[in-house]
Amino acid sequence: MFKLFSYVWKQFREYLVLVSLVIISLSLLTQNNNPKVQYVRAVAFGSFATVTSVFYDFFNITQLKNENQVLRRLNAEMMIQLSTLREYGILNRELKGMLGFKDTTSLPLIPANIVSKSLSITQNTITINVGRNKGIKPGMPVLSYLGFVGIIQTCSDNFSIARTLKNVDLKLTVKNEKKRLNGIMKWDGEKLVIVDVPRTYDFDIGDRIVTSEISSIIPVPIPVGVVSKIEEDKTGLLNLIHIKPFEEVLSVENVFILMMVENDEKNNLELNFYKRQ
Amino acid sequence: MKLKYFVPLFVFIPVVLVQLTVIPFISIQGVVPNLVLIAVVYFSISNGQIFGTVTGASYGLLYDLISGNLVGSNMLSKTVAGFIAGYFAGETRREKYLYTYSFTFVVLISALIDSMIFSFFSVIDFNTNFLQALLNHALLPSIYTSVVSILVVVIPYKRAFD
Repeated sequence: MFKLFSYVWKQFREYLVLVSLVIISLSLLTQNNNPKVQYVRAVAFGSFATVTSVFYDFFNITQLKNENQVLRRLNAEMMIQLSTLREYGILNRELKGMLGFKDTTSLPLIPANIVSKSLSITQNTITINVGRNKGIKPGMPVLSYLGFVGIIQTCSDNFSIARTLKNVDLKLTVKNEKKRLNGIMKWDGEKLVIVDVPRTYDFDIGDRIVTSEISSIIPVPIPVGVVSKIEEDKTGLLNLIHIKPFEEVLSVENVFILMMVENDEKNNLELNFYKRQ
Repeated sequence: MKLKYFVPLFVFIPVVLVQLTVIPFISIQGVVPNLVLIAVVYFSISNGQIFGTVTGASYGLLYDLISGNLVGSNMLSKTVAGFIAGYFAGETRREKYLYTYSFTFVVLISALIDSMIFSFFSVIDFNTNFLQALLNHALLPSIYTSVVSILVVVIPYKRAFD
């Protein structure tokens, strides 16, 4: 018997090693939601992110000059917008007072820097330098001053990994801001699309797309992008809406995490696909 | 215990560090070279098929854990890529494939296989045109990776890793 095993090992050891490792990989693929696997991942990326944060800052210095220029211009534009908004704010307060509405609470934003990016065609993720210690939880939205960037996937004490818009595992409920039409948006590996949109839905090129309140993950409308193309589905019954995102995930450096106020009652009632911890 | 078994571990950290911090700055339309794969191919050719397969699996698993990818996806793709690259290993072939521009060809083949397997587990959408998906998800990153792998051939101290 031993001789047989010895013979088989000698003849096919490369294949035996390959098959064993492939089986281990496949079994790990099915264990991604296992809390133990998630814990190991949190420890691993948390430790490594400490090192990458130093390196990333160093290489990022070269980008800062260009970024400063863009930010200065944006600052000037925002100053003009701010004065307009102040006027609207005063008017809004008066009108709300007249209607007897309570003022809405402002949502807390935590600033963060990206310390590393894992870029691939299908699974873009970013690592940011805030974690559980600052109250970050999986499922919280990540945004920049331009718009939506992604959703927190895993947290360690001081770092978090976020799935970006360009990640096939991130599917988001969005809506057409003007027409109030909802849809599911996803990254198909090549482009950002709202899928399975009935042809009767009135989407136009240039329409702004924001996150929908229907989503149990994101409680407020965050700008996502604009409609860039409307394509007919292969079946001819549905449309495929192409979205050009406001924020280019590849170039984003500074982000904010929206510390969303969870609504337990709503979450308990609704079927939430994203399991929060 | 031979030192060669530990070399991949020491090489892994700087390689991943560069992959996650510097490489995003040289991305072209979201396409980036895969330094981790180049390292796997290098070790596979220099140390044999089994060594390459195990290195591919270890690198893939660690990269999955660090980068936030689906755990097991890179492990699977890099295991197979390391195995394929191992076919170019051997006493006589090593000189030919490791220290000449043939290395980039081996990297291209391995990168194609790596990208295709990785993409298969990431995007399973049967509505997508297969050839177009192959071009976008596998071919372009593989070509970029193989171009960058030329550095391994031209850098004079390459033999230090042997």
